[in-house]
Formats: sequence, C-alpha cells, structure tokens
Amino acid sequence: MFEAEATADVFLMTQPLSASQSAEPSVEAKLIEAVLNGERDRFARLYEMYAPMVHGILLARVPRAEVDDLVQDIFLHALRKLHTLRNAAAFGVWLAMITRNRALDFYRSSRKTVEVTEKIAEAKSPNRTAMEILDLICSLPEAYRETLVLRFVEGMTGPEIASRTGLTAASVRVNLHRGVKLLRERMGVVSEPRPAGIAGG
Amino acid sequence: MDNNYLWDRSGEIDRDIQELEETLGTLRYQPQPLRIPTSLQIGRRRSLYPLMAIAAAIALLAVALGLWFAFKQHQVTPPVEVRRDEQPALKLIEKQQPQPKREPQQALVNPSSKPTVIQKRHREPARNLLASYKVRPPAPPQLTPAELAEREQVLVALRLVSAKLNVAQRKTQGLPAPNSIRNQHKIG
Repeated sequence: MFEAEATADVFLMTQPLSASQSAEPSVEAKLIEAVLNGERDRFARLYEMYAPMVHGILLARVPRAEVDDLVQDIFLHALRKLHTLRNAAAFGVWLAMITRNRALDFYRSSRKTVEVTEKIAEAKSPNRTAMEILDLICSLPEAYRETLVLRFVEGMTGPEIASRTGLTAASVRVNLHRGVKLLRERMGVVSEPRPAGIAGG
Repeated sequence: MDNNYLWDRSGEIDRDIQELEETLGTLRYQPQPLRIPTSLQIGRRRSLYPLMAIAAAIALLAVALGLWFAFKQHQVTPPVEVRRDEQPALKLIEKQQPQPKREPQQALVNPSSKPTVIQKRHREPARNLLASYKVRPPAPPQLTPAELAEREQVLVALRLVSAKLNVAQRKTQGLPAPNSIRNQHKIG
C-alpha cells in the first residue's frame, strides 16, 4: 500500500496525502464539513483561499478574457460536487485537477486555439508588457507554465504553490528554476551563471 | 542570482525576478464575490443510516427465522412412548431415589415382581405423555402353556363351525361357492 502510494507520488510529483491526514483537521476540512452540513456561506472562505490558484492555472492555459468566468464556473462546479470529495485535506489538489480539466474542456468545446506567435517570442524589446511576457510564459512547456504564473502573477511563494496544488516542493523548485531559465532565454536576457552550491533540480 | 528569492522571496533580491513580479503582478487575480445561484443544489454525503437499517432488518429476519425453525422442529419431534418395563426408566428411578419427592411414586412399584409401573420423567410436554397413554393397548393377560393350548383348540373349533355355517347358509340361499369368480362380464 505504502509502496503504491510512494510510486504514485513519484510519478505524479504530488505530496502524499497521509501526511496531511495525520494532522488535526485542516481549515479546509472544517469549512468543507460546514458547507456539507448546510452552511453554504462558508464556501466563500474556500473561494477566497483558492481563487488565486484557480486563476493562475487558468491564466496559464486559456485566454485571459475567459478566465474570470471560468473561475466562477469552476467554483460552482466544485460546490455542486463537494460531497464527492473523500479527503477534505486534498481540496486544493482536487480543485486544481478540476481547473485543468475545465481548461481542456474549454478548448474542446470552443475549438479555439491560442497561438503563441513566433513574433511575440522573437520580440526582444526590453519594455515588454505584462501580456507579452504572459504569452512567452504560455509558450513554455506545460510543466513550467503553471508554476511560473502562480509565482509571478499570483505572487505565491514556492512552498505555497506546493501546498495548494499538491505538487512536491522539489518539483515546484525544479519547475521554477528551469522555467525562469527558459523564460530568460526567450526574452533574450542572458542569465547569470548560477552559484556552484545551488542545485538546479 | 539568489535562488532563495525565487523560491520564497528570502535572501538577496533578484532584480530580474522582482521586475517580472511587478510586471506580471498587474494581471493578478482581482477578488470578486462568488455568485452562488439560489437554485444550486449541494450534494450531500451518503448517509450510512439506510445501510445500517437494512443490515439490522436482515439480522432481525435471520434471528426470527432461526427461532421459527427451532420452534417447528421442537413441535415435530414425536412423543416419546413411555413403557413401563423400560430399563432406562429404572436407572432414572435409581438415580432419583435420594430425592424425597420420588417416594410416593416408588410405593406404586412392586419390589417382588418386575418393575412395570414406572413413569418415565423426561422433558417432553405433558400433553404428549397423555396422548401416548391413550393410544397404548392394554397388556395381555398372562396364560400358562396348558391354557394356551386349550385356547387354540377352542379357536380352531370356532373357525370350523363358522365355515360350516357359511357353507350351509350359501346352499340355502342358492348362492355360488365362496371361491367362485363372480361378475366377470363387468371386469372385461
């Protein structure tokens, strides 16, 4: 059993849920219990806590104009399906998965494609706008995209990203460093050589 | 470049990272109230009470069936026929001799002859015992061999007379012999 969980953790790069289960009920667990007992207003607190994460995940995947509506849809869907969540401590992981699936559904239903054009990638103006940099981030491999958006757009730290999304701290650290390195290359900024003592992941 | 700043904003500030934060921070999530429609139904966790009720009902049914079968088997058991000359009854009486309540029943038993009038005590209901006493035929009288031979002779003579009377009656009434086959036409 433990071996299977550990193997799953390695492949999914997620934190083992048993660690959070052993502690006393988390804030999320208490809120979820209250919501399921009829206090639906308590869901607003969960919304405040996790809306930036959902916003960041969506921003890395869908057009910005669609993000706000999708955030609302995702939280309403989560509220509807909250009773299916078995482990309340894994609410963040569950919500992140819903968000990613919803982003995939968005493209399936609308058949829209967002082109990260080479023009944007090749532009090397030092005064880039936020949208241009965001587009550059969206051109990176998927593994780095989400982590960079959560770090730079939503202002979350590495440990916060790990705890909310369920990724391991090591995975988040690797994604941050490699993602920033790739972003610098695409932006035309020559990255400084890293200190010898810091592992790249 | 200080990697700690990228990781958790601790340590020396990385200008590039800080610039990225400031630029991209303009796209940050702007808090908006969650509009929950009143018609939205929140699913409830499945309660265990219905399952427990079903399990309890099944258990009660099993217990009731078990009791019913046990009661039915108890009723079907044939009544034990009580025989006065049963040897186990003797043993039972012997075992029960020290009890003072047995003394009136023992007075009925003739110590010189075979113990014939002994009521066997058992766990069967009293009504079964009564039924067996009603069905039981009376004991035949004890006869000596000479008396038995005389009785046989009388019985043979009676059978002979009866047969002769039958033959005479049939002859007077014009009936065929008793061993002739009658009504053959009806059979075919």
